[in-house]
Amino acid sequence: MKRFLIPSLLAAGLFGGNAVHALGQESQSLDNGPETKKPLLQKLQLEHLFTLARHSSHRSHSSHRSHSSHRSSTGGGYSAPSRLYTPPAPSAPSSGFYTAPSLSKPTQTAPTPSAPTGTVPALPGNSNKFASIVMQVQTALFAYGYYEGAIDGKVGEGTRTALRQYQEANGLKVTGTITNDVLSSLGIAAR
Amino acid sequence: MIPLRLSVSTVPLSEPLILRLRGSGSPDHFSAEGHDAVLQSFSDGMAEYDANGISVSVRVSDPTLIDGDILLLPSEGRTAHRLIRAGSSHNTLLVTERCDQLCVMCSQPPKNYDFDLFDSFAEAIRIAPPGQYIGISGGEPLLLKQRLFDFLISSTRARPDLKFHVLTNGQHFEMSDMEIIEALGAERVLWGIPLYSADPGLHDKIVGKSGAFVTLIQNLADLTRAGAAIELRTVVMRSNVESFGTLANFITTRLPALQVWAIMQMERIGFGRMNWTHEFCDTSLEFGPVASAIDVATARGLPVSLYNFPLCTVPSDWRRYAVASISDWKQKFLPQCIDCALRANCSGFFEWSPADGGFQRIRPE
Repeated sequence: MKRFLIPSLLAAGLFGGNAVHALGQESQSLDNGPETKKPLLQKLQLEHLFTLARHSSHRSHSSHRSHSSHRSSTGGGYSAPSRLYTPPAPSAPSSGFYTAPSLSKPTQTAPTPSAPTGTVPALPGNSNKFASIVMQVQTALFAYGYYEGAIDGKVGEGTRTALRQYQEANGLKVTGTITNDVLSSLGIAAR
Repeated sequence: MIPLRLSVSTVPLSEPLILRLRGSGSPDHFSAEGHDAVLQSFSDGMAEYDANGISVSVRVSDPTLIDGDILLLPSEGRTAHRLIRAGSSHNTLLVTERCDQLCVMCSQPPKNYDFDLFDSFAEAIRIAPPGQYIGISGGEPLLLKQRLFDFLISSTRARPDLKFHVLTNGQHFEMSDMEIIEALGAERVLWGIPLYSADPGLHDKIVGKSGAFVTLIQNLADLTRAGAAIELRTVVMRSNVESFGTLANFITTRLPALQVWAIMQMERIGFGRMNWTHEFCDTSLEFGPVASAIDVATARGLPVSLYNFPLCTVPSDWRRYAVASISDWKQKFLPQCIDCALRANCSGFFEWSPADGGFQRIRPE
């Protein structure tokens, strides 16, 4: 309590310069942490200014209170993923004349659970997540003669054109994208 | 009620997917770095999106309703979660369903299973619409403390325009966390922490955990010392309404430098529904204890907000403290609210409030 009283006593001119010095020392000694830490009084002072600023306008944008909404999150809840889809080794759809190259599942660069404090984890784009399934589709389209590009796991223009042609030739909805119909038609098993 | 889940169909996934839905007219705030799913066609209630060459079908009555939304597609299942709705200021990420307290008014009773979606959350945050105030809730989010802190550190750095509102029971902070709390900054993270009574025994009874009060008060002191922004939250109930005056005294004399004291009405769902009949305190009839608590706190410089109090249930002198707090997706109004002049600024009622609103004195103006 004492340290909160001192500033007002100072303001009242009850102490001289030595007291100012002593106050500074006291607030420093409250923190045993690293040098970078702000003294407590400074933190509270900042907080105080913050409060005063908000007082003038009730819905100031700088304030957490402005739209601090009630949150209870009822109705939330995500189904926890339990089983993982494991891509099967690529194989030729039906004929058997084609031996698929053995493709290993590309290693995902998911952020490590305990990323080093302060570093932003490298986040995989969605294209990485799709890569293994795209490679299987490209391989199958290649085997059937619709695709001649690289088996690179990316749906580029070449792959889209091949998909459109394949969909049209097989009576599927023409989207130029990988659909479930394309997967089952190519015999790429989900599980 | 705004749906938070959507029925989807796409190819089998090897891991959860984060997508931003893009219609033709949606604003391009920034590149979504390969997360964009672009609307291709819409018919018969199915919107077809092209996500990096993969088809994603979403069942929705009108694709403009979900334009700009950020979806989480679990690697299994045909239900997508609308993690961040573009048009909403009430987005909340649910970090865990586990909790070490069993509060009598809990609206979302804990479930004992594990999941960890922080990697997906981090992806979603990176492509969130600008300026959002994102809620973090549970369960008790700090049961996954290290993951939560890493998420907050990377997210606050990646997106300087976002703020976070973390709801926690305040039981799991340690002195060694305070450096991180301080680094996160009071301007970026607001910690919403409940305290139900100045009487340790009563607080512990309400939260269903012995020793909770003592731990909480110590941790609040540590947080204050770290300069954290704290929103103290108290639900008014039959069991604590009579000691509200004592609580106001305690908070204003023992807990310095709080941002705001949120006095909240009960939500009739979960344990709150189970205990509704003996815990719901009808403040439309009995506002006195809350009024004096507001007066004490205000006189001592602590800002007060009333959450989940429909405006007409609050005596006019205290209405300015009531905020429209109920999240858009679970808010409703009663038939008699249609022409009410106060409606625009009113919290309204919960979707699961009793049909008559629960309060006996509801007087539209």
